Amino acid sequence: MNTVLSRANSLFAFSLSVMAALTFGCFITTAFKDRVVPVNIHVSRVTLENVEDFTGPREKSDLGFLIFDINADLQPIFDWNVKQLFIYLSAEYSTKSNALNQVVLWDKIILRGDNPKLSLKEMKSKYFFFDDGNGLKGNRNITLTLSWNVVPNAGILPLVTGSGHISIPFPETYKTPMSY
Amino acid sequence: MLDIFASIPTQMDYKGQKLAEQIFQGIILFSAVIGFTYGYVIEQFGWTVYIVIAGFAVSCLLTLPPWPMYRRNPLKWLPAQDSAVEEKKQQEKKSKKHK
Repeated sequence: MNTVLSRANSLFAFSLSVMAALTFGCFITTAFKDRVVPVNIHVSRVTLENVEDFTGPREKSDLGFLIFDINADLQPIFDWNVKQLFIYLSAEYSTKSNALNQVVLWDKIILRGDNPKLSLKEMKSKYFFFDDGNGLKGNRNITLTLSWNVVPNAGILPLVTGSGHISIPFPETYKTPMSY
Repeated sequence: MLDIFASIPTQMDYKGQKLAEQIFQGIILFSAVIGFTYGYVIEQFGWTVYIVIAGFAVSCLLTLPPWPMYRRNPLKWLPAQDSAVEEKKQQEKKSKKHK
């Protein structure tokens, strides 16, 4: 504390310690928050095709096309410890070969300050909905859920699944659009 | 060039050092409390950081330079003594002991 440099050193160290404590406080004020919000998913049309999957088994596999609407108000999730949300729509279903299949169909990053009210109409999926066989044809129960990763300033990275999912049956035949 | 900087007196006396430490700790803790509350209310952690940085800058300005208020209690050194006289006295003491 006798010279300028030693004073600057202790001042800087003390400031950093205080900043670390504040960051921990920011984490602890939001750590136990419930970040589930209701989500409304609606599927308007499903088409099923049987095409060769060049990335996978090189056999003809089922490829589904979905047209969907999503309505959700994500505003309650945002607080001072949220930088952005990574939201994604995933399909879950079971086939003979796998008890659980999960396919991400669509995703979006919502930054802080973006419009947190999702109101999407007639959306096409962003990624191919390929099964690794013929498990989509005539599948009675394909469940669509919207989940999100909460990217924080400090602390854990929670993975939350929105409440409200939809289960749809897939068509029994290929290339015949099915409307709901 | 460096000698110029070295010749600038930057020392504080002991009481001044204690005062400087108390001042910067007080300012930074105060700005931390204000920043935390403000950031929590407006839900922007960035403002918490800015306010703490502002407190850091203010306390730098207040405690880094050796302002006169930190130099009010200088150490009292013994008066300078003539070294030749000192040596003579010591020699005399030694010679007395030997006798």
